[in-house]
Amino acid sequence: MIRIAAVGDVHVDEDVVGRFRPALDELPDCADVLLLAGDLTRHGTEAEARCVAREFGGLGVPVVTVLGNHDHQCDQVPQVVKVLQDVGIRVLEGEGMVLEFAAGRLGVAGVKGFGGGFAGRCASDFGEPEMKSFVRTTNESAEALGAALRGLDCDLLVALTHYSPVPDTLAGEPLEIYPFLGSYQLGQAIDSAPTALALHGHAHAGSERGTTPGGVRVRNVAHPVIKQAYSIFHVGDHLDAGQVSRIGHSGIRQSWS
Amino acid sequence: MSTHRDRATGTPAVAAGPPDEYVEAEIQRLLAEDPAVAEQGITVVLRERGLMLYGEVESPHRREEILRRVAERFPDVPVTSDIGVIRAQAPTEVEELP
Repeated sequence: MIRIAAVGDVHVDEDVVGRFRPALDELPDCADVLLLAGDLTRHGTEAEARCVAREFGGLGVPVVTVLGNHDHQCDQVPQVVKVLQDVGIRVLEGEGMVLEFAAGRLGVAGVKGFGGGFAGRCASDFGEPEMKSFVRTTNESAEALGAALRGLDCDLLVALTHYSPVPDTLAGEPLEIYPFLGSYQLGQAIDSAPTALALHGHAHAGSERGTTPGGVRVRNVAHPVIKQAYSIFHVGDHLDAGQVSRIGHSGIRQSWS
Repeated sequence: MSTHRDRATGTPAVAAGPPDEYVEAEIQRLLAEDPAVAEQGITVVLRERGLMLYGEVESPHRREEILRRVAERFPDVPVTSDIGVIRAQAPTEVEELP
């Protein structure tokens, strides 16, 4: 079993530094890895990225992230990525990585993703150049995610995005803005590989749980949704022979208490 | 049909200002696009007795900044805030996924 901690939409700036750290310092005891689902900053400045690096760097567990729309606001993505990489935070965009743990190899593929909406009620690659550009951005992002997922050789596969791959986890948001919150193409990409879990953020008023049409579990880990420093998922009981007796046990339960 | 925020005073909407929906839209965009705020998760509702703001932010400072900006832009509109600061404690439970 691999223990995955995850949170998104932490929107760190000077005023947030230190708020997450006490909880983050507990991570080595309760998680193997921390996945961040984008919107690490407020405006995507290098200065804000340095705040993220202070808060989320040097945690004692690997940290893997995608960026979110806020992290693009000031057009400083290369600087933001460099600041994060310099403290060992791995930033994924259309690529994957494999982390080796005692229980097995965890593959994480990530993209920011984009909007467009969900099957039957979505934007089409048609009409004005602006509209085509919008939908093509979504398509390209989803294709990159699918290729990254399918290209990983691992025991447990996780998809990490900022935008949502399903409408389920948007419940609570106004229906009218669903096309700005995610796109079905991301779900299709996730379903194109043997993905065990899909994590996303972005939808602050959404809800925690959903599944893709292919049955992959989806969790919205946006900080305003989970209302704690991070959520922890225990995934892949099958990886550990000693845990076989727990197969079939599902749902929330107390841990390490 | 849109109604105006000053309708309780009997002021004709046309003379008194823009319809509520435009005010709500302007505040929503102000909160998202103003670099000092950059919040997309705040819900804005204009009612007869004033403006209601609710949602959650990452720090008390951000809540104050939102209220300051809105008051600056709409000095005559009474504002009620129900903006919370999101808790950031370690989780006490995990989710077991089969």
